[in-house]
Amino acid sequence: MSGNGNIEEVRKRRREWEDKILKPALDRFGAEKSPNQFYTPADLGEYDFLEKVGFPGEYPFTAGEYATNLPNMRIRGGVSSALVRAQNYSGYGTAEDTRDYYNYVREALGRRGGPNVAFDLPTQCGYDSDDPRARGEVGKVGVAVDTLRDFEVLYEAFVGENDLDKIASNWTINAPCNIVMAMYIALAEKRGVAIDQLKGTPQNDILKEFAARGTYIFPPRPSMRMTRDTITYCTEHMPQMNTISICGYHMREAGASPAQMAGFTFSNGMAYVQLGVDAGLDVDTFMRRFTFLAWSTGMEFFKEIARARAGRRVWARLMKERFGAKDPRSLLARGAGGMGIPTHTLTAQRPLNNVVRGVITGIGNALSGGMPFGGVPYDEPLGLGHSLEAQQLSMDAGRILQFEARMADVLDPLAGSYYVESLTDQMEEEIWDVIRKIDDMGGAVAAIEKGYMQREITRSAYQYQKDMEMGKRVMVGVNRFTGEQELEVSTSRLVEHPYDPVKREEAEQKQRATLARVKAERDNEKVQASLKRLRDAAQDEEVNLIPVILEAVKVYASVGEMCGVLREVFGEYQAYNVLA
Amino acid sequence: MTEGKTIRVLMAKPGLDGHDRGARVLTLGLRDEGMEVIYTGLRQTPDKIVQAAIQEDVDVVGLSCLSGAHKYLFPEVVEQLRGEGVSDVLVIGGGIIPQDDIPFLQDKGINAIFGPGTPVKDIAEYIRHNVKKN
Repeated sequence: MSGNGNIEEVRKRRREWEDKILKPALDRFGAEKSPNQFYTPADLGEYDFLEKVGFPGEYPFTAGEYATNLPNMRIRGGVSSALVRAQNYSGYGTAEDTRDYYNYVREALGRRGGPNVAFDLPTQCGYDSDDPRARGEVGKVGVAVDTLRDFEVLYEAFVGENDLDKIASNWTINAPCNIVMAMYIALAEKRGVAIDQLKGTPQNDILKEFAARGTYIFPPRPSMRMTRDTITYCTEHMPQMNTISICGYHMREAGASPAQMAGFTFSNGMAYVQLGVDAGLDVDTFMRRFTFLAWSTGMEFFKEIARARAGRRVWARLMKERFGAKDPRSLLARGAGGMGIPTHTLTAQRPLNNVVRGVITGIGNALSGGMPFGGVPYDEPLGLGHSLEAQQLSMDAGRILQFEARMADVLDPLAGSYYVESLTDQMEEEIWDVIRKIDDMGGAVAAIEKGYMQREITRSAYQYQKDMEMGKRVMVGVNRFTGEQELEVSTSRLVEHPYDPVKREEAEQKQRATLARVKAERDNEKVQASLKRLRDAAQDEEVNLIPVILEAVKVYASVGEMCGVLREVFGEYQAYNVLA
Repeated sequence: MTEGKTIRVLMAKPGLDGHDRGARVLTLGLRDEGMEVIYTGLRQTPDKIVQAAIQEDVDVVGLSCLSGAHKYLFPEVVEQLRGEGVSDVLVIGGGIIPQDDIPFLQDKGINAIFGPGTPVKDIAEYIRHNVKKN
């Protein structure tokens, strides 16, 4: 880009500028140091565009995952049928409640696509709705699923032109992922849909559950064996099914720094890739079905943009150099998008300010390889579910960014910026530092077993809090600009939410009654026999458990029963207490 | 409270919610405020929390929940504490607690609710002023 001679000249001119222009200006304001920086080619040094950035959709993917954003732009415009895209994350109370909600959003709000299912915590933790440990939690953060019966009811919202071979489903499920996957297979078989036509994305990222999110069941090693089962089973039988969605989001929300988030995510990602390799699969046969639900983001605009750009570059290099992947689709952090979703920056104080935060990250996403979107609905931190008006505003914000501000027209528009490229290099180095530390510990599983990620995330979370309390970090309306002269703007709900709060209160009782009925009506001898086969199969590391789970699912064995059997064989994860 | 006695706190996560950033940060923050803080870790049943509170002879129980199960879990802890004859323990709560639920929880014996963004020193101050044991 620029020869050394030119850089020398820039350096010389910079010194002159600092003496003759900057210093007098600072003197005038009585300041020693300027709060502003200015970047030049000298900061960037040797810069090879093709090596560092390249073209969109091409190694090293700094400029973006794809050569064009066309499919995403069509979805935003509402032009494409987009059935293979899942909807907004949602799930409420009982399977009936959630089915009705899905029907409502399609009919009343015109939203297409398969479900993006939020499961309640008992389901995520492998407990039935009638388990004492589930009390108070049934149907709360998502839908309760105990048996195949619940899946059958849930998917009554997806028939005919929305049948299982036409939609894609998304399931935020980790430890019991293969049980949910088996339910989908059983449902498809009942409906006569060939399972190689099934499309979907389970989250299935157990390592970040140990590191941050907390819905683990079994210890890391048997958990990883179950992930291996997903990878090998899907590669053989369900080639259109994604096998995993590797998450940085939750680790950041739990406190990880930007570089820790990216480094931990990629270290976890490599542990999953290794599972496929160790099972004897060619990396290029299964990597195309790995996806990322990668990032949560803070408000530090350029730093987060740089982190997103650097992240794609790091992953591509890891796949190419460490795993020898050749197919370009194996090299890209698919679905990682741009800088991410800013949930932890949203405030319950003056919640409309969250619209502004959403727009900032929407722009940041457009500038870092993602689509401009309106962010999380502003009422997220109020804990009442997203109101329809907040959802509308979030969608509209994305549309305004795309169609009025035309933020989606140019891919990676900051490529070549002296500042952004320097910062991208710097973030890349920080991410490599994190990855190297975990390499030294023997990889992600070993690091988690030693409590390393958990400890680091806790340390960063506490540092963040101290920075807030000392005013080094500012959140408007929370730790600054909170005086009496400020207007504490609050919001009220204008449009009634389709999920009636009365149903929410009744869900637990209804779900227990449903489960009792299912348990009374099914063939319990068959259930017991299938659970025994599951117990036996679990003891042999080499066996893929999905076919065995599928048999149990078909006779209406429950999530709690299947996980109970697996707990007996695998044990339960005892969390590493980083605060002991 | 007697001058010089260290305040003991049990920080607890009732239910199945895995979000414990708040509980972890507050554990460290209250330690820096000079209190002895025990963190239970995730997925504690109300009776396990009550047993730990009694065994550790704590002055304060802090409950954190972000899953929406607080209306069952928080009162359950208070009730079981009372059932064990413990009435001099301050019970405070935090997490994602909708404003409208706070009067209900206070009515059920939770002494105070602290939402996101509350400085640690405010919570420490509240504890020092309201701790019940002598």
